Amino acid sequence: MAASVRHLLKPWTPSLCLVRWSRYNPYYLDPDPSKDARVPESELSPEEKELQELKTVSPIKAALSSDTSSAFNDPLISKFINMMMQDGNKILARGIMTQTLETIKRKQVEKYHKSPAAKREEIECNPYTVFHQALENCKPIIGLASVQKGGKSYQVPVPLTDNRRRFLAMKWLITECRDNKHRRTHMYEKLSQELLAAFANEGNVVKRKHDLHKMAEANRAYAHYRWW
Amino acid sequence: SSTDGPKSAHFDICSKNLKYKFSENAFNTNILKRHSGQYYTLPPTHIQKLFPYGLPPRFQLQIKTFNEGCVMVRPPALELISYLKRADYSKPPLRYVLYGDIGTGKTMSLCHALHYCYSQGWLIVHVPDAHLWVKNCKELLPSSSRPSRFDQPIQASQWLKNFKITNERFLSKVQLERYVWTKRESTEKGQPLGELIDQGVNRMKSSSDVVGAVLRELRLQAGGATEGEGAFKLAVAVDGVNALWGKTSLKKEDRTMCEPEELTLIHNLRKMMKNNWSGGAILTALSQTGSVFKPRSAYLPSELLGEEGFDNMEPFVPVSVSNYNEKEFESCYLYYLDRNWLQHPHSRSEEGKKELIFLSNKNPSILERLCAFL
Repeated sequence: MAASVRHLLKPWTPSLCLVRWSRYNPYYLDPDPSKDARVPESELSPEEKELQELKTVSPIKAALSSDTSSAFNDPLISKFINMMMQDGNKILARGIMTQTLETIKRKQVEKYHKSPAAKREEIECNPYTVFHQALENCKPIIGLASVQKGGKSYQVPVPLTDNRRRFLAMKWLITECRDNKHRRTHMYEKLSQELLAAFANEGNVVKRKHDLHKMAEANRAYAHYRWW
Repeated sequence: SSTDGPKSAHFDICSKNLKYKFSENAFNTNILKRHSGQYYTLPPTHIQKLFPYGLPPRFQLQIKTFNEGCVMVRPPALELISYLKRADYSKPPLRYVLYGDIGTGKTMSLCHALHYCYSQGWLIVHVPDAHLWVKNCKELLPSSSRPSRFDQPIQASQWLKNFKITNERFLSKVQLERYVWTKRESTEKGQPLGELIDQGVNRMKSSSDVVGAVLRELRLQAGGATEGEGAFKLAVAVDGVNALWGKTSLKKEDRTMCEPEELTLIHNLRKMMKNNWSGGAILTALSQTGSVFKPRSAYLPSELLGEEGFDNMEPFVPVSVSNYNEKEFESCYLYYLDRNWLQHPHSRSEEGKKELIFLSNKNPSILERLCAFL
């Protein structure tokens, strides 16, 4: 029994070499650092019990040093920090992210305290909900892919996976803040302005998403060029 | 009770027993002791006049965000205020030194005690950060009056402007001796202090000497005229006092390092620190964060002041400032909840609170920075 599992624990190469792959055999499970993972046995259905059994027996990949078991850990924020990072300087990227969240919170709480009691309920002070909602507002629903047919290449409207949509939203936010803003403002200031604008469905990133949607709508005729 | 009502004769305690408004008898010892660990609101007019520049930058941001300035009543400030109440002001001034680890609240305690002095009508000489005078000076002019000294016109004129804002009611009261600035300019005997300060603000070249003259005048007049209209008590508050006896990071024109002794502003401030005058108090706080060439782990007076500084400051009354205890941490946590500052749902739970205690070790500044993005 143990001998048959040994070959799965060795370094592994996929048979078809893709752009991004890892040396872990797919037999390895992803680590789940959250404390809520431990639920008492009585509340689990038979499939979940099987999963739990599997987790006790199978090997698990090493956890990243940026994952914590605390409930303050947010995977979306971690992904955004990784995308903002340049030359592996995670400390700087994380610092910028925390300053951005702080700036968003300060602006909103200041607005909250200065407004009359009637309008206070509408102001969203939680920087995490602002970030999540702003990202949602920036995600495109449909994208364009370049397809070559008969010597000419056409922009064909194409559905996007969730990961691709999230990636595009984050990429647009970061490039917008890096390129199109005033040179002497700090990154956290630029990001907080752009996020608050996206939260209200205004700003350049949401405009870019709308432009993409319009292009896709305009190229509707070529939709049947897609074969996948 | 987040709205600022008119100054009432009695004080309001909000339903959670958390905040109370500043009022006439706010500094009564029994009342202060009862409210130890709770916040009291600084009136906005006082903040504008007394602290246009003296509060820590993060606290200024907090005032702007929360639309109010609340200070926690803590034991070091209580101790300092009780000493100030019981001191004998006909004798030379006592030197109080606030010391403690980084981020424990030395500057805030100093500002609290200074607010007490201001509300009692003292004349305030406040140097918000002495480290700003020994580093990063763009203009270092050779002094006009003495050959081996150097002037810092920008810092001196800035300080004079702030002094004017804080001590407006004293500008007309104090009388002077005769000072000569250049061949053509001089200030005569008997002119009000306001003119001397205007001279310093308008003529940048002699502003450092004007600062020295102002300090000398105040020293001479603080103790004298114990009865009558001219009587006032002088509060000298210096934050980062270890800058006066440390090293500077400034260079002279021949690229050698400048000694603090050679800077006019530092030289005059050192004279102020001696207790050869009477009728006031010297409140100081040490600071490692802005200091030059000092290790991060140094926080005791002997380490930060050095031998020379310690000998000059001795004898002084040391007041130790430490991290929050459990009651104060509770109070700070409740204040942030009340001001809608802790937004993350996990931070509002019991487990989140334990995490905050663990991450910050109940250090006030680290807790503040943590709660800023949560």
